[in-house]
Amino acid sequence: MTIEDVCAVLLAVTDVDGVAVTVTMSTGLRETVYASDRVAADLAELALTVGEGPSLAAATAGGPALVADLTTREMPGPVAGVRRRRGCDGRPAVFALPLQVGAIRLGVIDLHRGRPGPLAREQIDNAFLLADTACALLIDSNDETMPIHHGREPEQARLQHPEVHQATGMIMVQLNVTAAVALLRLRAFAYAHDRRLRDVAARRLRFNRDEPDDDSR
Amino acid sequence: MADVVVADVFVELADTLVDDFDMMDFLHVLTERSVQLLGVVAAGLLLADEQGTLQVVAASSERTRLLELFQLQTDEGPCVDCFRSGEPVSVVDLAGAGRWPRFTTAAVEVGFASVHAVPMRLRTATIGALNFFGTHVGAVDEDRLRLGQALADVATIGLLQQRAIHRRDVVTEQLQTALNSRVLIEQAKGVLAERLQVGVDEAFTVLRRAARAQNRRLADLAEAVVGGAEQLAPLDQ
Repeated sequence: MTIEDVCAVLLAVTDVDGVAVTVTMSTGLRETVYASDRVAADLAELALTVGEGPSLAAATAGGPALVADLTTREMPGPVAGVRRRRGCDGRPAVFALPLQVGAIRLGVIDLHRGRPGPLAREQIDNAFLLADTACALLIDSNDETMPIHHGREPEQARLQHPEVHQATGMIMVQLNVTAAVALLRLRAFAYAHDRRLRDVAARRLRFNRDEPDDDSR
Repeated sequence: MADVVVADVFVELADTLVDDFDMMDFLHVLTERSVQLLGVVAAGLLLADEQGTLQVVAASSERTRLLELFQLQTDEGPCVDCFRSGEPVSVVDLAGAGRWPRFTTAAVEVGFASVHAVPMRLRTATIGALNFFGTHVGAVDEDRLRLGQALADVATIGLLQQRAIHRRDVVTEQLQTALNSRVLIEQAKGVLAERLQVGVDEAFTVLRRAARAQNRRLADLAEAVVGGAEQLAPLDQ
């Protein structure tokens, strides 16, 4: 499964006109890695250039930015500039979903639609689920050396048992790595041993540089 | 004494209108107020995610076993029933009631004898539930239950910041942000637990005290801890 696959499903279930995915690099800079069509690509680039808009708001604020009509939204701040400077290439409805797991901020998925108005309840719920899948793919793709999924569906990234998130924090300190790397290591271990993330986390395994020891405590 | 606590709750609710309002701390304070006002032993606030699964977002104590008990209620339990029906659920004798076998076994093992859940409602929708545990068999009286519902309503208002309640998208944004904030806090608990070699509940206390001392939002400090920008000292220092 790839980001492209996820975006294709997203387009279908949300009935929007375009999808773009931006990732945040370790430098803090953001880059568009996927766009479903030319307009989506242009809109993503515009948001990056202008440095404002729902996409940036979603990337930094810790939650989604759902704008039913960019041309009429009264909110000041991150959205205003985009509206002022240009039209929206005929896609005034913008829904920006952060790709994040707590402090791990990987990027944003933007959905654009020509018809203004909110997404339906079911559409937005499905969109969040698909964003989580995209998130899982991004986390797992950081390790090119390991084909970690072993034919399994990747586990959800965000909607996990709290112990999984606590384990991420612990492994960060044990290995002296970033949260994203810690989570990747945890997930890779779970896949390699064909266990669920929550079961691995519950055993409080210690992670050393090469592989974890099995002294659960 | 109860009047004073109720007055405190009003003051805290007013705080939700100011600019630097700390959502996560507010929700934690509410669970603590619940314990004080209702004469129960523990309280937890759960919100539904996009799958309709209840997630613990705040609790009166961060003790793992307690959080587990709240979190256990993903497909059975008083909170699930409360959330699905939109109606309060009260069980004055948990062991004797014969409902929710898995949950009851776990709750009784921890020492709880009674349980109540009140819905967090927004117009016709239920967004979550406030869950209370008692160690004695017996009902919580009517007035206190009404207070419990009022606290749940206060939590809903604080969460959704009333001026924007009519905008469904803003509601969604707020809920998703709260859910992610909880993940942030869990990650920070892990970092601090490992670094300071303490339990995760103590780690939460360290985080919360530091947030108050620095006058920062819990979630912001949690993010700084996970990002490596913050080194917090253990409790006795």
